[in-house]
Amino acid sequence: MKRSYPAPRLVLSAESLAGEMRAPRERLLEIGGRFQEPEALAVALSKALDAGAEGVLAAPSPALRAALAELDRTVPLFAVVPALRANEWLDLDPGVDALLARARRRAGPVTRFRMGWTGFWRASAFRRGDFAARMPGVLEGEAAVLPRRGVAGVVLRAALTDLALAGDHRRFFDGYVKFVHARFRASAALETANLGTLLERLVEWGIAPDFVVGPVNPPGLRMKPTLQHTLLQMARCDVPVVAKDLRAGGLVSLEEGARFALANGAYGLAPDLADVDDVTTELRKLRA
Amino acid sequence: MIETVTAAASAHRDGEGPKPLRPVRVAVAGLGRAGVAHAAVLSTIPGCDVVAVADPRGAARAAVRGMGFRARAFASVRKLLEREKPDAVFVCVAQHERARVAGAALEAGAAVLVERPMARTLEGAAELVRIAAAHQGPLACGHALAFQPVFAGAQRTVSEGVIGAVRQARSSMYLSRFFAPRRGRHRLDPAKVAGGVVAHFSSDLLLLLVRMMGEPREARATWNLLYGRVEDELHAMMTLANGVEVGFDTSWSVPGYPRSSTVIELEGEHGKLLVSDEALEIELEHPRMGLPAGATRVLESQLPQPARFDLGGEALYLQDASFLQWVTGGAQPPNDGATALVAHRVMDALYRSACADGITLRVRE
Repeated sequence: MKRSYPAPRLVLSAESLAGEMRAPRERLLEIGGRFQEPEALAVALSKALDAGAEGVLAAPSPALRAALAELDRTVPLFAVVPALRANEWLDLDPGVDALLARARRRAGPVTRFRMGWTGFWRASAFRRGDFAARMPGVLEGEAAVLPRRGVAGVVLRAALTDLALAGDHRRFFDGYVKFVHARFRASAALETANLGTLLERLVEWGIAPDFVVGPVNPPGLRMKPTLQHTLLQMARCDVPVVAKDLRAGGLVSLEEGARFALANGAYGLAPDLADVDDVTTELRKLRA
Repeated sequence: MIETVTAAASAHRDGEGPKPLRPVRVAVAGLGRAGVAHAAVLSTIPGCDVVAVADPRGAARAAVRGMGFRARAFASVRKLLEREKPDAVFVCVAQHERARVAGAALEAGAAVLVERPMARTLEGAAELVRIAAAHQGPLACGHALAFQPVFAGAQRTVSEGVIGAVRQARSSMYLSRFFAPRRGRHRLDPAKVAGGVVAHFSSDLLLLLVRMMGEPREARATWNLLYGRVEDELHAMMTLANGVEVGFDTSWSVPGYPRSSTVIELEGEHGKLLVSDEALEIELEHPRMGLPAGATRVLESQLPQPARFDLGGEALYLQDASFLQWVTGGAQPPNDGATALVAHRVMDALYRSACADGITLRVRE
């Protein structure tokens, strides 16, 4: 199958800054404090690129955008969308309708026009409440907060991926990949907390996003439905897997987690800021 | 529990999780945040068929269909019950509607899992438990925290007497959520909801405390209403029948908690136990029940996590699958209606005390 956009071999994840990573609270607060200033985050991102990372995996939050603006080099961004903090999710009904309404409230006239335009072309399905028809509008809303340069990929947040996965919504995934390619000219990727189940469905449906981001680690922590099933699907499925949660909540070292992931068919690695103490040294080791 | 603690690190993570013992047909009533989450998780449980959903709002029904769920959608729960005759109903309607809808489902012969709190009032919750008993229908309440492996492990540790009789307890549950006056659907009208942070959030912790130490005899509480007409913070002290004091602090308006954070600290006659979302720590004065003297620490990530689908964590799947296991002949889960009613009664006592400027009140009036 022809692949339009290559998956990254190594990206630095900054999901912990949004409280999205399941790490000890103290560690998340420490990371939040350490990278509170955009300059500090900018330095870490720059070091990550120097150490061989191909970009940053993160929601395009104001803090991240400020850090990217500090740099006079382009940092490829694999943007996790929608860009919401963990506690912001609690205020929204699940699905895309609440996200769409939120995006409309925040959007300027151009973005609103674009959101309307995407809905117009899918008017019938949109009116029926179809997730697949409404998602492009959400992505248009998110586009407004993406940096003008350097968007290497759009990664759908696990909360939405897994909801559509539970609904067995083949058309949603198909439409998402096509829309991201056409609109952003960037990788269309999916983040999931149910890697084995998602890969199995993608094979069944014949749908190939550019890559999938999900937990891979030796103890099998958060590898759903089971460790063995996930490893089996990773071996069967052509879609590149970028492994996260490599340290399994601190049970193994980053190197051990990375070795396990790559040995079991992961294409790339996404260590988080919360996983590393010295960005340069630890990312260089992974790159080697 | 000792087996869980000591063997946790080597336990096979792919262990068999709870599941229905025979195929089961379920329905979801109320398609807000909780209803959709239940529908999604239920559709991934082997042997569970989500046959119908109900919500009076056409947009909510359309949104669920739009997510790919093919269950028949009804505007009325009554019609759903008549036409589909589900084995179990997950009731996630608004709090002031819960007792009525859950009662109707029980009377129609379905097992019911109703979201927390079971009803807006204690009387409503008690009536539900009575109806369940009269119809011999399984009734449970959605207290997912009790299924989070680390808290389930802590509860078993205490029940099995590892630290002995509890002498003192402190607990807290925090979340960073509201920092401005609530608007729209977050306004929380006291005529329609049981309360604020305790009713919506930390009644989960009350259920755990009740499971660990039993029903308190007395309680006193103070609260802060920061951003609306229901409490955003509540501080309480409860006294057990044996005179032991249990501290309870909760807030959803405190910074630094993007994810909810729960901590329980117990001091027992043989040692101490501290459990949080991250780890279970037991410190014993002498070797006891297979555990060594000194500190034993088990990380949450070391415990088996047998849910087959993750939607915001393990707990929701484990709760729903355990309930369906019970409905089909398996063991009673920790959030059964009678236990949840005790937690509701404690919550009611805390609210009554806070309304009366923190005077000490008996939990059972």
